[in-house]
Amino acid sequence: MGVQVGQKAPDFTAPAYYKGSFTNVTLSDYAGKWVMLCFYPGDFTFV
Amino acid sequence: MSAVAANYQKLQDLGVEVISVSVDSHFVHKIWNDEELSKMVDGGVPYHMVADQAGNVGRAYGCWDENQGVELRGRFIIDPDGVIQAMEVLTPPVGRKLAETIRQIQAYQHVRATGGKEACPAGWEPGKPTLKPGPDLVGKVWEVWNPSME
Repeated sequence: MGVQVGQKAPDFTAPAYYKGSFTNVTLSDYAGKWVMLCFYPGDFTFV
Repeated sequence: MSAVAANYQKLQDLGVEVISVSVDSHFVHKIWNDEELSKMVDGGVPYHMVADQAGNVGRAYGCWDENQGVELRGRFIIDPDGVIQAMEVLTPPVGRKLAETIRQIQAYQHVRATGGKEACPAGWEPGKPTLKPGPDLVGKVWEVWNPSME
């Protein structure tokens, strides 16, 4: 799909769990900050 | 992801926010945190755990496995302008090395701090010499850098 280094990261909004609460995350809210975005196969997997 | 949680302070010190993404619901994220990760990491998971149940975020980043219905192990370093500076995608059975991600973030932060006037050669870590690309350096990299410095 269309991601490439040197290009804008696709924006998204999605539900999230954060320190005991349910909230929404919008990537563009992080403008002005460095972000490490990590995907992984699933909770309770072994690696 | 527990390694990221355990080393979260190092990332915070670099001013890096962490967002994790999987197909699990935010409800499942809570239970994974409460039942397992909080037993590996003091205080539990300190970053936002995104629920991408339809795979839309994964698809946008080329990390969606259509056959398995899961995310691949994609890791993206995004700068303050919202630009992807680095990405790495692994198949599920092998985990990442956070130290390498931190090294890359430090290098990109250094390049940004110099306004792009300096570049970080192979294996660069903070304190090691950088390169200053320009006409004077053409054909002369050997004078200031060699592979033993990696």
